[in-house]
Amino acid sequence: MNIMHYLADLLVRSLFKADPATWPYTWIAYAVVIGVGALLAFAFVAIFAGPVTWIERRIAGRIQSRIGPNRNGPQGCLQWLADGIKCWLKEDLVPATADKPLYLAAPYLVFTGMFGAFVVLPFGAHVIAADLNVGLLYILAVTSLVVVGLLMAGWGSNSKWALFGGVRSAAQLVSYEVPSAFSLMAVVLMAGTLSTQGIVGAQGGWPWQWFVFRNPFLFAAFIMYFISAIAEGNRTPFDLPEAESEIIAGYNIEYSGMRFLFFLFAEWANMWIMAAVATLAFLGGWQIPGISPERIAEAKGWTFVGWQALSFAIFVFKGTCLVFTIIQIRWTLPRLRVDQLMITCWKYLVPLSMGSATGVLLLMALVREGGIVDWVMRGAMLLVGLLVAGAYIRKVRATFMADRDNYKKMEGRDLWYPPYRLP
Amino acid sequence: MTESEICDRLKAALPDAVEEFESQLLDPAIRVKPARLVEACRFLRDDPSTRMHYLRLVTGVDRLPAGETPGRIEMVYHLWSYEKRHGIVLRVHLDRDNPVADTVCGVWPVANWGEREAFDLLGVTFTGHPDLKRIMMPVDWVGHPLRKDYQRPDRYHGLPTNRTAVLEQGRVQVATAEHVAKAEPVSGYMQLNMGPHHPATHGVINFLIETDGEVLRRAIPDVGYLHRGIEKISEMVGYLGTMPYTDRVDYLGAMFTNHGWALAVEKLCNIEVPRRAEFCRVIASELNRIASHQIATGALAMDLGAFTPFLHWIREREKINDIMERICGARLTYNYMRFGGVSRDIDQVTIDEIRRWLDHYEPMMLEFDRLISGNEIFIRRLANVAVIDPDDAIAYGLVGPNLRGSGLAWDVRRDEPYSIYNEFEWDVITGTGVHGVVGDAFDRYDCRLREIRESVRILRQACERIPEGEVRTKTARIKPAANEVYTRVEGPRGECGFFVVSDGTDKPYRSRFRTGSFTAMTIIEHLSPGLMIADLVALIGSLDVLAPEIDR
Repeated sequence: MNIMHYLADLLVRSLFKADPATWPYTWIAYAVVIGVGALLAFAFVAIFAGPVTWIERRIAGRIQSRIGPNRNGPQGCLQWLADGIKCWLKEDLVPATADKPLYLAAPYLVFTGMFGAFVVLPFGAHVIAADLNVGLLYILAVTSLVVVGLLMAGWGSNSKWALFGGVRSAAQLVSYEVPSAFSLMAVVLMAGTLSTQGIVGAQGGWPWQWFVFRNPFLFAAFIMYFISAIAEGNRTPFDLPEAESEIIAGYNIEYSGMRFLFFLFAEWANMWIMAAVATLAFLGGWQIPGISPERIAEAKGWTFVGWQALSFAIFVFKGTCLVFTIIQIRWTLPRLRVDQLMITCWKYLVPLSMGSATGVLLLMALVREGGIVDWVMRGAMLLVGLLVAGAYIRKVRATFMADRDNYKKMEGRDLWYPPYRLP
Repeated sequence: MTESEICDRLKAALPDAVEEFESQLLDPAIRVKPARLVEACRFLRDDPSTRMHYLRLVTGVDRLPAGETPGRIEMVYHLWSYEKRHGIVLRVHLDRDNPVADTVCGVWPVANWGEREAFDLLGVTFTGHPDLKRIMMPVDWVGHPLRKDYQRPDRYHGLPTNRTAVLEQGRVQVATAEHVAKAEPVSGYMQLNMGPHHPATHGVINFLIETDGEVLRRAIPDVGYLHRGIEKISEMVGYLGTMPYTDRVDYLGAMFTNHGWALAVEKLCNIEVPRRAEFCRVIASELNRIASHQIATGALAMDLGAFTPFLHWIREREKINDIMERICGARLTYNYMRFGGVSRDIDQVTIDEIRRWLDHYEPMMLEFDRLISGNEIFIRRLANVAVIDPDDAIAYGLVGPNLRGSGLAWDVRRDEPYSIYNEFEWDVITGTGVHGVVGDAFDRYDCRLREIRESVRILRQACERIPEGEVRTKTARIKPAANEVYTRVEGPRGECGFFVVSDGTDKPYRSRFRTGSFTAMTIIEHLSPGLMIADLVALIGSLDVLAPEIDR
């Protein structure tokens, strides 16, 4: 049974001593529960998107050998609140020649598109707003609403640069939705369901039970999904719709104050969404290693709450790791040109993602799950994954070591300092 | 060939074109008849013995009537041959009341903007010019500011033009309804202004671009937003008074504009520079070159969307600024050179500091390479983009790293030596087409990056060999006899030339700063059709144009 449904029924039973099936005002209880749930999800978005701006700026500062915001609150951790309040206080400018209804509505549409996706994100074993049986399809559909919003912003601003940004982002989002959908299709084939909880349930807590290491095609699908997700989120190296050195700021150039903030809000929320989708579809979601979902469901009292909290923490941890990777990519790479962007999508990602979905189908037909071949494949892919992670760590370390002594000689202080002693 | 041989050659070919050979000038000039100018130019360009493919400078001088002599406007053309390594000055005298000359745009495309500037500031009309309109001043400005009898209008569109009136009037109302009247679409393509305050234009430059989707049909540069009339100011403040103004011509390479100006006046007045001062000049200049190239390469990476390399270079540049502060007391506008030396000595502590910094800096260059030079996206954004072949580069007057990026090994420091550069061991960097064809945007980037290494080499040698001694000769009041001179230094944006006309007073009669960015801008319109908007950004960044240097 759906957790929201269950909660609403509980409310009616305990508060009004009525049977929810016959009581005429049950729908009010449902509405209240849905409203509270939406508010909680909104709070999560806000609380996530806010600090992530601060974290991103601190990380960017570190990457660019500067400090970053460190004034508001300890380590500057309240910077996002200061920014938000500043934007609330700013004047909401509307250009005289703008198409007013479109211009005013666009930020909400963008935000709704992003926010809607949170409904089906499985944060924990039972922490989910609504476990739709078409969950993944719903995410793809509802985030497409963003395209409409961006086009409206670009067109409604009545500025040529904004129009460039709007059209660029529409072209980009529509294109990259194809490979991302095909990559997710490979997962759907494996899990046999579109429900997000179902997909997480089809995996396990240990890495060799994750879909990403199941077989080479899923591994490729994960990488392709990650690339397309970055492109859909307008992040570097695919940040063409808001390329400040080419089209100044893109679709949001004419916006100010809170409306402007809504766009950025949606961007950071989207970063979390794509990390969460990648986590749930490929990296085992909230699954706790060694604890089966049935055991969590059977647990009672504080144990139940504990498992929920642990699964929530695992999910958020995995997602945050991906978010960090996205941030690092953003502050390291230059931007693609628009034709290169399209070539990457239509010439490489689309055929390859189709191929990976087909490959998954073939392997499902040929390889018996749990058989020797399956385990060899899992082991090999896990090894590949470890090698990739190892190479990444080695590269970062080598780069760091190369400059450390030199830096120390000139500056007189260490290049490395622990996070708790950030300047 | 010497100048007189070139004159004889021209006389033999076009006997009636040459009016006079002015050998008394520091740069001997041939005065030609205005009607035969284009013919003479074309001959000098195409003749196998002269081959002057490079028009260094085109400018004008206004001469007021003096006693018997009627007033005139002199157009001056400095030609140069990279092949034969010789040059000549052509000069035509025009009627001051109705100055009309034939355009030489057909011979050297780079003349386009130089002639527009002469039209704008001196009122010379060029027949046959493809796009004769004002370049620095607004299109509806009245008068020509570099005329000696120029009277500034009191008001422009109801706005007062002098400071007192502005202060009296208080707030100035600028934008009116007519100003924002909608432009009619003419061509069916999207027309838009890229600038004047666009992040990628490196200062206040405007590009009027016409696009078909993302692809440019053309991009027309529109400059003059930063025109401060430094050349006109120099006519009022005197030789030494101009020195701080030269800092503002090129704020990223102020040491070079300083140096060029000092060289020009030293040549006019025959001032010797002590040896230690020459070393000081070289050390300061090369440090400045490194700083400027860092900004150029870092800003190019930033234009392509990679923010981090720029800030890493800024970090290193801070150290250069610190050293500069020790050397001359300023971090950006140095005002370091003096006629006959430099303003202050570089002490031993600073030299040790520079050495220590070089030890640190050389590995840091590798860091930058690791960060961006080998990045696949970066390479693909620049390689084979906006290719300039050597012939075009010369015809459009590209200089410095832009010219060398096209594969032509020409460095003023080596090929027309000034100061003490020929005493050091270093190489002239040329583009090699490392990731594409020779002359693409990546080559220009690569040239700058490798030139930093050569500057490091020069710096090490200079720090090693700097002799003891004075850093400034005592000079009398600067009052050169009537003459003309053109000196050049190799700045970070290429040949930085100073054309100075003296008239025996303590102020220059006319000065013209020939800057690399001004000529580099002329090629953008030629290259732009077919590029994408993102490529235009890469092109501007790879040419390293700087708005104050264009407008002066």
